[in-house]
Amino acid sequence: MPLDTSTTYPLTRLRLDGRRWNELRLLQAQISTNPASSGSSYLSMGNTSIMCSVHGPAEGRRGDAAGSSGAVVEVDVNVAGFAGVDRRRRGGGGDKTSSRIAVILRSTFQSHLHTYLYPHSTISIHVSVLSSDGSVLAAAINACTLALVDAGIPMPGLLCGCTAGMSGSASTPKDPRHDELDPLLDLSLPEEQELPLMTIGTTTVVPGGEHNMDDDEEETTVALMTMDSKLHSTYTETMLAVGIDGCNQIRELLEDVIKGSNRG
Amino acid sequence: MTAQRQASSAAQTPHLSAAELSYLYTSLSLPNNPIRPDGRSPTQFRPLAAECDILPGTNGSARIGFADGTQAIVGVKAEVEKTTLTADTLDARSLSLQSDLGPSGDGREGTEGSSAATGGHGSWVQMSIEIPGFRDDDALPVFLAEMMRESLVGSVGGKDGDGIERGMAGGLKGRLVINKRWHWRLYIDVLLLSQPLSYPLPLLSLTTHLALLSTKLPKLKSQGEEDPFFDDDWAVAEYLYPRASAGLKFNPSQQVRPPVTLLVISVGENVIFDPNREEIAVADAVLAISVTRDTESQGLKLLTIRTIDPPSRLTQPGVPNSENVNMLGATAPGESVAVLNPATGEEEIPGVWRPRRGGVKRSVIAGMVKTVLKKGGVGEEVLAGLEGVQVG
Amino acid sequence: MLKLPLIKLEMNDRRRINGPPGGTRPAVFASHLESSSAADRARRERQPTELRKIFLKTGLIPSASGSSYLEFQPSASLAAARETPKSLIPPSSALKLACTVHGPKPLPRSAAFSPNLVLTTHVKYAPFAARKRKGHIRDASERDLGVHLETALRGAIIAERWPKSGIDLTITILEAEDDRWWADAPDSHDASWGMMNVLAGCITAASAAIADAHIDCLDLVAGGVAALVSDDSGDSSTTSPRLMLDTDPAEHRSIMSACVVAYMPARDEITELWLKGDSSKAALENGDARSAHEALIDGAVDAARGAYSVLGDALRESVLQTIQS
Repeated sequence: MPLDTSTTYPLTRLRLDGRRWNELRLLQAQISTNPASSGSSYLSMGNTSIMCSVHGPAEGRRGDAAGSSGAVVEVDVNVAGFAGVDRRRRGGGGDKTSSRIAVILRSTFQSHLHTYLYPHSTISIHVSVLSSDGSVLAAAINACTLALVDAGIPMPGLLCGCTAGMSGSASTPKDPRHDELDPLLDLSLPEEQELPLMTIGTTTVVPGGEHNMDDDEEETTVALMTMDSKLHSTYTETMLAVGIDGCNQIRELLEDVIKGSNRG
Repeated sequence: MTAQRQASSAAQTPHLSAAELSYLYTSLSLPNNPIRPDGRSPTQFRPLAAECDILPGTNGSARIGFADGTQAIVGVKAEVEKTTLTADTLDARSLSLQSDLGPSGDGREGTEGSSAATGGHGSWVQMSIEIPGFRDDDALPVFLAEMMRESLVGSVGGKDGDGIERGMAGGLKGRLVINKRWHWRLYIDVLLLSQPLSYPLPLLSLTTHLALLSTKLPKLKSQGEEDPFFDDDWAVAEYLYPRASAGLKFNPSQQVRPPVTLLVISVGENVIFDPNREEIAVADAVLAISVTRDTESQGLKLLTIRTIDPPSRLTQPGVPNSENVNMLGATAPGESVAVLNPATGEEEIPGVWRPRRGGVKRSVIAGMVKTVLKKGGVGEEVLAGLEGVQVG
Repeated sequence: MLKLPLIKLEMNDRRRINGPPGGTRPAVFASHLESSSAADRARRERQPTELRKIFLKTGLIPSASGSSYLEFQPSASLAAARETPKSLIPPSSALKLACTVHGPKPLPRSAAFSPNLVLTTHVKYAPFAARKRKGHIRDASERDLGVHLETALRGAIIAERWPKSGIDLTITILEAEDDRWWADAPDSHDASWGMMNVLAGCITAASAAIADAHIDCLDLVAGGVAALVSDDSGDSSTTSPRLMLDTDPAEHRSIMSACVVAYMPARDEITELWLKGDSSKAALENGDARSAHEALIDGAVDAARGAYSVLGDALRESVLQTIQS
């Protein structure tokens, strides 16, 4: 039995978990899950599940001059010990992966939110990763967006995250005539470990007035893009296009969640 | 520094004025029917929502949310580990002179099984608690984790009189033994999702109980002393705490169940359960009492009691009118006369808050334990309620 | 087939040269000098209500504002084993600990206002204190002991007399009690029973050190331990466990349940109670209406009364010395 996507994909055009290249995993989300916070959300993408709660905007710490121009976003990421396949012990105050995710989230949302509306205040986001099965950063972005919407913090549009990869190591230049490699959307943990991976976050400026009917393509902004793996430069464009497309799909799903919760 | 100080006390002391504290104390210490701020009866718990088996990646998991919004998630993970006798249990039988010990009249040694393999070891259960705003080696998480762990590994299940095993000889520790050389190691990770609004012990204990009830271990396929291997099929996995099934006909009240730790406070002569933050701030004594089902007598049995530092010791005292400079001359002379508070044994002026001093009388402790253990009392009610949560 | 991961759970302290992690075992060449029987396990030779002698002295550390040193009398079996060694491993250990109090001193500027004296406790085992080496970083059980001790003392100290100040109380355990006889494998009733004796010793010593530092208390707090033990060998395990005061876990085959209290005799109040273990099977003497846990608490209180008399004498002695000198 083949054990990874890079061997199964060329044969069957199906990935390890049976998805096609452009299919997202099942995304389920809920907002207002925790009444004790200003805003909260639960989001699961496949087996990755995340809980997020937002406190604030609240008065910042005294003597903190940093927030004078706008709110300061604080992000705290906590990966539960039982999140992975093997139980992992946390050593002291957080580990590398979780602090890296926290830094990325902080800088992304700091620039994304309309923080200038809340000078001298703090918006603190607490992310708990309950189970991690790939695309944790992307799922965390989506969960944060939902929680921030629930908290009623103004932002230009929904910030959605998604991962994209290639179905092989993609270390040689792309051959336009017979291209064996397909880009993949929304990678799971085994894929994430073997294949090149890019996390993309995009946002749209909510179209207003008569521009409403215009095509969305023009309005999409890439707000975040990180890639740690090695990849031939000719493939980046394909991956980016797939990732942006995935973000748009996720945006529709998140919008449904938000609208659905208003109805109920 | 401040976090450290608060951590060891029962909860972050809410910022209540001396007048508020005194009001709370007076209403909670009304003889026989205390008036709680949220209108509950003394033994009533806060409403909560619970669910089990929420995380597919764990052996067992549960979530409980209190109505005030505090939520806890517990995930249990089990790993197979080789049994080694650590250096502090230098086992005489592991030394080569064990044959000399043979006729010592010790029945267990005669059966050549080292009792570590049948009895299990408390360190096989590991517990960690994460509370936002606390490091995981702060006093509060460590104290809570030790408190819950010791009652968990301390509960010893038994055989009943006619020798029918309840499936849990040796309690949880015994259940973790696979064979003489292998055992399960249980990791219980408790995640508090928001800053604790009150002392989080009841929430964490109830959630842990539920998570353990829903915990399953894969079915063992190997036999005896072989290296263990397990059935891939998760559907045939066995519950860590055996459930009632058609073949076994003992009633649910006789099954071994994980313990629950209840937070009990005494205010005046009243015993109050599941206190919220304001109530615990005026408590004379705070006890954490762990109980579990007694498989033999159908009742409850006591596993651990720990005192918890009541935060009322750290509050600020009120000033009686007779000593207040601003009120000089405005009070009638006989207005503030100190009376003896029977619960604390100290002279107090009614309506003026004094931080608690000293400890608890033995009779008070006995009364609190009795209320928990009594037949049809709170302990049984809680266990029955948790049993009702749909598992699976 | 599941994976069988074997993991190491050691916290590393990079600032010091550490001994080998828990995995290695010292070479044990022979535990018995001659062919022996189980008779050489430690046995309790005291009456059930008889306590071990306590050595307690205050003011041994001049740089601290208060200090004390406490030692329990080693069990008779240890003395016997020293006379005529049958085994190279001592059969039991006795508690030895030193306690220092620093303060009252002003709280650091960064600390929040406190109307009361802020007590910080710090309990640490010396690396050589137990049979298994302890690391330099406090582990969970040491932190747990610290919280217990803090609860015990905070009830006794009259804290509002020192607003905005703090005291630091540090206890170093030089020799700890065993959790069981060294050659016994842990059985189903096993738990860290030795820790309870250590806590009782800590409470008594800390109370002496606080009094030595001239900090006002309601009363001296003394720690006491009582336990339900079943000493019978395997076949007659049906006999019910008996209540004993001041148990040395090395002297008993199986401790069912134990209780430690911090007790103030003048007010007849308990400031700290820690009871664990299964006490449901214990049968008390006829005519005793108390339940097992009440009996345990009462026993522990009796033990604490004993420690209290030592505590009082030790302090009286140190006061007399200061007056005379």
